[in-house]
Amino acid sequence: MSTLQTRFGEVEYDAKNLLHFPEGMIGLPDLHDFIVMPNRKEGPLFWIQSVDNPDFAFVLTDPTNFFFDYRIVPDSSVKLALQIEEEDPCFVLTVVTVPPDQNITINLAAPIFFASKSNRAMQVILDNTNYQIKTPLPNTKKA
Amino acid sequence: MLVLTRKQGEGIVIGDDIVIKVIEMKGGNIRIGIEAPHDKKIYRQEIYDRISQQNIESLQWNMTDLDSLSDNLSVRRKLK
Repeated sequence: MSTLQTRFGEVEYDAKNLLHFPEGMIGLPDLHDFIVMPNRKEGPLFWIQSVDNPDFAFVLTDPTNFFFDYRIVPDSSVKLALQIEEEDPCFVLTVVTVPPDQNITINLAAPIFFASKSNRAMQVILDNTNYQIKTPLPNTKKA
Repeated sequence: MLVLTRKQGEGIVIGDDIVIKVIEMKGGNIRIGIEAPHDKKIYRQEIYDRISQQNIESLQWNMTDLDSLSDNLSVRRKLK
């Protein structure tokens, strides 16, 4: 086990279980490895902690928790990067923005594909999409 | 930045595997054709920049906000 000093305190992790982004996140290409943090609270939100930069952590969610008809599929270059075959499962996650006013949004225009088999993930930008970078969650109010 | 002048139909080769061609110029717009390996990602710059900015913005959050949001979201789900 290794430890990492983050802004949320010390985090213990197993280097073998890191979530690997071969290409980093868009605009942040140096962020390759993340610790998937266990949920502190019940609910759809969880976060991933960057190992490459301990100050960086993303809140993620499965967008189908909120948008049941959100269906996107990885193309062949994504599958290649994630090292998965046609029949292997590939899950979709989205980046959550939690501003101080708590009007949270999720980025449906640039989802993350996650392959459980390889523990790899990749953020993509959807072409010609009507999905918004700042999509408000339906029926959510300020806390 | 390297600046080159090209006419319609002319191109630019970058490295061994990327070709950019000026296809058409019309009404202030320029149509560009790009040949590149399939794994090379090509984005409109303003869209790429907006996603980058959003990613950076999404790094700014604190645990208290996340906790109270998680409480609300999970309660709402249980009510259904």
